[in-house]
Order: sequence, then structure tokens, then C-alpha cells
Amino acid sequence: MPPTNYYGSGLEQGVWGLMIVTYPFISGLVAGSFVVATLSQLFGRKRLAPLAPLAALLSFALLLAAPLTIWGDARQPSRVYELITRMHVPWSPMALFLLIWISYVVLMLVELYAVFRAGNAARAQWADQPLRAKLAGLLTLGVRGRDARSTRRDERIVRWTAGIGILIAFLFHGYIGFIFGSMKSRALWSSPLIPVLFIVSAIVSGIALVQLAYFAVAKWHGWKIDHEVVAELNAWLVGALLLDFYLDMIELLMSGVRAYAPEETYEWFSRLYFHGPLFWTYFLFQLGLGVVLPLIALATKRWRASIVNSGVMAFLVLVGVFMMRWNVVAGGQMASKVTNDIVSFPLVWTGYDSVQTVLGVFGVAFLLFLLFAWIFPWKTGFEHAPTSKAPAPVPPPTLAKTSPAATSTVVERPVPAPSSTTMGASHVSSTVESQWEGANSGDR
Amino acid sequence: MAATPMAPSAPPEAKGVSRRGFLGAMAAVAAAVGSAGLFLGRTASAAVVPVARPSAAQMKRLLAYYRTKPRWASWLVPELNVDDGWQHWMRTILNSKNLPIAHDNFSRIGTTIKQTHHWVMVIDERRCIGCQACVVACKDENNVPVGVFRTWVDVVETGEMVPDPAGPIVTDVGNYRSEVKRSSMPLICNHCDHPPCVDVCPVKATFKRADGIVMIDYDLCIGCGYCVQACPYNARFFNPVQQTADKCTFCAHRLDRGLLPACVTSCPTHARVFGDKNDPTSEVSTLLATQATTVLKEDLGTDPQVFYINREQEVYDENSTGNTVYPYSANLNSTDYATLSGNAPLPGDTGGQR
Repeated sequence: MPPTNYYGSGLEQGVWGLMIVTYPFISGLVAGSFVVATLSQLFGRKRLAPLAPLAALLSFALLLAAPLTIWGDARQPSRVYELITRMHVPWSPMALFLLIWISYVVLMLVELYAVFRAGNAARAQWADQPLRAKLAGLLTLGVRGRDARSTRRDERIVRWTAGIGILIAFLFHGYIGFIFGSMKSRALWSSPLIPVLFIVSAIVSGIALVQLAYFAVAKWHGWKIDHEVVAELNAWLVGALLLDFYLDMIELLMSGVRAYAPEETYEWFSRLYFHGPLFWTYFLFQLGLGVVLPLIALATKRWRASIVNSGVMAFLVLVGVFMMRWNVVAGGQMASKVTNDIVSFPLVWTGYDSVQTVLGVFGVAFLLFLLFAWIFPWKTGFEHAPTSKAPAPVPPPTLAKTSPAATSTVVERPVPAPSSTTMGASHVSSTVESQWEGANSGDR
Repeated sequence: MAATPMAPSAPPEAKGVSRRGFLGAMAAVAAAVGSAGLFLGRTASAAVVPVARPSAAQMKRLLAYYRTKPRWASWLVPELNVDDGWQHWMRTILNSKNLPIAHDNFSRIGTTIKQTHHWVMVIDERRCIGCQACVVACKDENNVPVGVFRTWVDVVETGEMVPDPAGPIVTDVGNYRSEVKRSSMPLICNHCDHPPCVDVCPVKATFKRADGIVMIDYDLCIGCGYCVQACPYNARFFNPVQQTADKCTFCAHRLDRGLLPACVTSCPTHARVFGDKNDPTSEVSTLLATQATTVLKEDLGTDPQVFYINREQEVYDENSTGNTVYPYSANLNSTDYATLSGNAPLPGDTGGQR
């Protein structure tokens, strides 16, 4: 329950606090990392294929954590069931939340099933960890085939879910932008540009998040980072950043120039962003460090392939996108509706709607990600990268088992779990089945 | 709900009640009271005074009464009961389930939804002396917590100091004469005919009655803040005690009993005039017909039902920096408060930067 002094003594208060700043940020990460996954699943960027399972898991974990922000911001969280029983559709865009969110969760479950089914089928044969093997077997829903035909079917499901999912991801993030953009009471929110700007910056932040997550897991597991993957991801980042920069400039010109903007919009924009409390967050963090500096620092392919450079830039991009959410949510509410006064928007550190709760939401998302990373075999794509921790696997004499002839046979029943010595050989073979066995070896 | 004493007259204890029947009835009463507390008393339970539990025979009479009579006293056909204290107003008089109300598509009101009254307020700024009696009366009447207001009176300054060699105000950079005007501006929920705050509610907790009053069901509000944001007039706020959105109700509980809103009765200068726009003989109809009136932020298309006579048109609608609005209830952390206390430069001193 919010403390009463949160309201201060003011006539007008910013009622949407830091949690609502975080909500578009998290949902942007959801949509953005989903888009990264679709780059290989739908748009054929096969080089990014190893990152797709990681991006999908990140997206799913953040998707499950995202409602905590709005739930925590609601003053009567125990009445959340009314969103189902008294849904005010189609009049209230906020009422669409549960519909969109649940359809997104269902779609993600289907996609995760298809993405990880083959890996789970391989895991289901683990002998030394019977519980995890049983869990993996459950997650295949009984479909244990690991031949080329099953893989093709999985890929078809993934393609479909990616195609539909990208629409739902945009809908999920777009409805949030629409809530702000359709608010005719607020001069700085009421703009058809806001939903588009939100979606584009969501893609930007999603790419940056996947980039950082890639570095983190590679560092954690001691994998060698593939510079080609980094460079390609950065190329997409630059493209999204260019679009973001274009939209930012449009917004700046159409709100911050007296000749182009409605009077109220211009007054508040200049008072808050040019001369006011949001100068640094807007010009330094959102535009300077969040867009312009990364565009410069990732200009050449050599710079884009640099790990340190792209890591720093991905972090700055994330900070910049968060500051963009802050500038929109806080800035819109700082502009008073009824007086000439700048409404105070205090940063609360603990308690209701505070830094503490926001960190809690991110903590929940992180724990969910760890859980999903434990459940799902997402490391299969990284097998080609030599590890620095484990010694290089020695090809065992049982290599003939993974002959090409074995690939076309449908596995009717689970084959016995291969021993740990034979599993290490998988990276030398390119067959489907041995690839998943390789996943088995690197996935402990 | 059935356990609350709403019968117009308490029936006398009937004779010949069997033991089994008595026990069964008591069990039914206990279940009714318990479920009423569970499902209805979520917010208001703290305010409800404990009432005597009806006896089995009373319960029978109550049920018989409810079978023949409507369960609620409507504001169109008031069936009022002295025992029905103000604590129960949400369940009875203002039970949104039983009222002709609209959550959206407000053009229906007056067409498919029958409209007998159309309550409006006309505020004559020429008469307002800024005494804030209406603010105090509203707080008193509606138990509005400290720090938030259902109605308030802003102090508005317009105009500027004009350079004039013959002006009476002598400064180092020349003489000035004052063309500054100060006026008081009572503000209240406009009870718009097309209220954006009602449209955006995700759970239909807020509604517009057919007589024009926009209200909130505090038992349904989830406290998301969307309506507070969507109101262009800042008439909605979060009630820090009950943790829901809150706003002016035109004192609907008084209206339904034939009384005027508290702010209207308390106004010493008759600056606030309240009445039925559908009644051509009412004072508001006369004023609207004879006086030039304006509404706030007309360009937003919300169709406000609070009309102003002699308002400084540009003040509220355009946020022009040439005018200054000082709410008496100013935010202590705000630039306005700093300006008033001399800790911030006055608007004219910033060299046109603001």
C-alpha cells in the first residue's frame, strides 16, 4: 500500500511512477528479443540461429515478469480478476492487456515447445540425471523423433509461431504505446508517433539485451564469442537505431519547434526538455549516449565486431531506451494539465512504486530466466564454439554410429543413452541426431 | 446484502417459530452476513457500523419484501429509509448494477437511455470571491482526505506590467503601470457528456448516470490510474485512504434526496448555480439562455457540463505562460510554490526562457 505522503500535498501528482516507466521498458525487451529470435527463425539469418533459443527464453522470462510492474502499480491489486470478469472491450485499450498477454504466453509456449523439442528428446535419454530426463521427456509431449523430418516439422511450427508472434509482440508493445499516444488530456503524450516510437525503440533494446546476454552466457560458460554473430547483430542494431533516430528527430522537430508544434506541446516540451529537469535524460542519455554515440561507435564492420565496443554500446543503448521511457512517462506527467506548474515527479527508493520494486521485478525476470535456462536445452547452437574451460573432446572410436545413413531413419523408440565418452564426438559430425547429442554433452 | 436492515419498517416478531426453522434461518442469516462481508464489504466494511442481526421472522419479512419490491432505492424513484445510513449508499442508492448508466457510447443517454434530469452547474466568476467555502464544505460533506480535493478554487493572474513613463511603479529601468488582473476560478469535475475518463476504465468501474453525473464504484476500482491520467481537467485523483480513484459526484447522495450539492449551498455569493438543464424554468436554464457561457478545454470535445460566466478564456485552456495560476492547494515541491515563497524567479524574470 502506498504511503499517504506519496501524494504530498499537491493538487496534481504523477500517478504513474517508476513501475510504469519500467513496464514499457520490459515489454519492449520482450518484443525486441522476440524480434531477434525471429531474425533467424523467419527471416533466414542463419548466422544468428544460435542466439534464437537464448532470445526466446529471455523474451519468455521477461514476458512473465512484465505484468508484475502494472500489478504492483495498481492500488487495488487484489481486484485484478476484474480484468477478466468486467473487461471493458473494445473501449479501453488497457482492458486488452490480458487478452494480448495470454495469447502471447500461449504462443511462446508453442514456440518454446517446437524450438526445444528435439533437444528435449535427446535429453530424455540421459541416464545419469533421471529427473531432468523425465522432465525433458514430458516437455516433448511424447514426440521423441530426432530425424530430419521431425526437425523440419519443428522448424515449420517455429516459422509459423514466429510470424504470428511478431504481430502479437508488436501488439503487446503497441497497445502500451497506444495508451500513451491516445491520451488527449496530456499534451506531450497525445501523438500518433508514440506507438511507433515505442515499437522501434523496443527492437533496439531487444537487440542490445540479446547482445549483452550472449556475452554474459559466453563469459559464464567460457565459450569463445563469435565475432561474425556479434557483427551481424550489431548491423541489425544500427539499422534499428537509424530508424529510432529518425523517429526521435521527427518528434523533436514536431514538438520542440515553435513553428511546427501546437502551443501547449511546444511550451511543455521546451520547458521540460530544453530548459527543464529532463534536459540531461533527454539530450544526453536518450539521444546522445543512447542513439548517436552507438551509431558512431558501430559505424564500421571492424568496430561492430569488437566485443568490448559492442558490449559497452549495448549497455548504453539499454540505458538510453530506459531513459526514453522515463522521458515519456515522467515528462508527460510533469506537464501539468491545469496550471502552469511543473508537477514534481520524485524518484522513490523504497516501498511502493520505487527503485526497490523495479529491481524486484528484474530479479524475478532473472530468476525465471535461470529456471528456463535450466529446463530448456538452449545451448545447442553454441556447440561449434570451442570452450576454454573444458578440454577439447577426443573423437572416440564409436564415431561410425553417427553415419549419414542414420540420419534418415525415424527413431521409433528412444535409443539408449550414449555414454559420456561417445557424446563428446558430436561436434565433428554435422548430422541432425549427433548435433543434439552434442547438445547433450555441452549441456550439463 | 440481504442482511442489512433496509425494510421500511421492522416487522414484529412472528409467533410459533419452530426450533429447526429458527436454526435454519439463523444459518442462512450467518451465511448471508458472511458472504456479504466477503464480497461486498471489501472497501466500505471499515465504515459500516455494526447492525443488529435480524431475527428469523424479520428475515422472512425482508425476503418477502424484496420479492415484491425492487432491491434498491433508485435515484429516479427514491425509496428512502431512515435506517439506511449513508454507509450503505454504494449498495443501494448508487448500486451501479441497477442504475441506467453508460460505460461507453454516451450518445445513448437521452436517446435509448431515458433521461429525466440533466444536472449541470453554472459558475459565475463575477460573483466568486475566492473564500474557499465550497472547498471546505465539499471536504466536510464527502470526507475527502487531506491533500486531495474534489473541488478547488484557483487564483488566476492575467495581464502584465506595461512600460509607461507616467506609470506609478518606478523602477531602475523605467516606470510601469499594472495591467494585472486577479480572479478566482472555482474548479470541479465537469461531468462531461463524453467523458474520456469513463471510456478508458478497463473494468467498467466508473460510469455516467443517465442524469449526467459521472461516478466511480469504489468497490470495483482496481486503482490503475488510467482515468486520472485521461481526465483533461485533473478532476480525478487517488484517494489516499481508500486507495481508489476518486472524484466529485455532484453530491449524488444529496441530489437523490432532493438537496443541492454541498459546494452550492455553502457558496455565500451564489457563484455556483446548480440545476436541471432539461427543465426550461430552472435557474441554470435561464442563465444558459441569457448569459454568454464558456466551458473548459472545449477543443478536446469532451462536452463539459459545468459552464462558466465571464471566465478568462485563455487561462485554463492554453497554459499560456503570460498567465499564472496559483492553486491554494499548491504542491509544496512545485515551482509554483517556490515562486510564491520567493525561492524561484517570477515568470517575467526569466528573460523569456520559460
